[in-house]
Amino acid sequence: MATQSTVQPGDVTQRVGVEVIRARGVDVEKLIKMLVANAAAEFASTYYYYTILRMNLAGYEDYKEICEDARLEDRAHWELIVPRIYELGGHLPNSLPEFHDQAGCVAAKLPDPPTVVNILTLLLESERCAIRSWSAVCDLTFGKDPRTYDMAARILNEEIEHEAWFIELLAHERDGKSIPSGHFRRGEPGEAPYSKNRRFYNP
Amino acid sequence: MHRTGMTRERSFRVVLETPEGIRSFDCSEEEYIWDASAVNGIVLPAICHQGRCLSCAGRLLEGTVEHDHVDAYFAEDKTAGYILLCRALARRDVRILTHQEWKMREHRLAKGLPAPYA
Repeated sequence: MATQSTVQPGDVTQRVGVEVIRARGVDVEKLIKMLVANAAAEFASTYYYYTILRMNLAGYEDYKEICEDARLEDRAHWELIVPRIYELGGHLPNSLPEFHDQAGCVAAKLPDPPTVVNILTLLLESERCAIRSWSAVCDLTFGKDPRTYDMAARILNEEIEHEAWFIELLAHERDGKSIPSGHFRRGEPGEAPYSKNRRFYNP
Repeated sequence: MHRTGMTRERSFRVVLETPEGIRSFDCSEEEYIWDASAVNGIVLPAICHQGRCLSCAGRLLEGTVEHDHVDAYFAEDKTAGYILLCRALARRDVRILTHQEWKMREHRLAKGLPAPYA
């Protein structure tokens, strides 16, 4: 049975919600660092991939809409992660450049030349980094920290769908092949079926 | 160094000093050392696979590597002997100390360089 340090009644310097997961073996300080790194990557992806890159997809209006879904869903991820960082006793860097440097994935700047194939390749690899990053959080929290695990798994579900979208589009554009994502369109832009519309808390 | 098949592709001997002991294998000049390790059943730490997050960091003890499409690798890293295995290509037979992610992050912080997850 897990043991935990005693949190005295009225003590606001400690959190039972943190101590219970620490007692179950979660390295809370490491988890906070991972969440900050992932938050920075989601924040940057909203800026780089799905704002600037989307602006450069002229003539590919359908791709723009898919990028818009991914942009809004990554923004939803960012907004979902931040409260958990603070709940765990962490915080965001006060400096935006410092926050940017914490990102665990490459900043996906507009490729040169900004062709549709180059942009889709960049988007695909960005989603793959996100999948790896959220899988690492799932590994760290599985069976120990249900709240963070649930959040990470919801985000991971959407990142996996994003990867499938960009595999489908890149295979079509670059290789002339059909590799269906298996998904239907979102009901509305940035629907975020796992991370936004079925939140695990009331914001 | 070995030449393989009909091509002019070369391969090099990679020796890893891991927490579980010494492991070694041959690695083609075109294959990332992390990928070749995985093919040989050696699971090393990694997250981003973009040469960014430092999770795959190692220390080059002998030999030469070249980094390919690495996101962030600084002259200070090379001077201190740190390499990023997910994007490192062997250029000679090499000997590498693995699992150096937190040491490399400390090094980056001390130099005022980006240190994801630090």
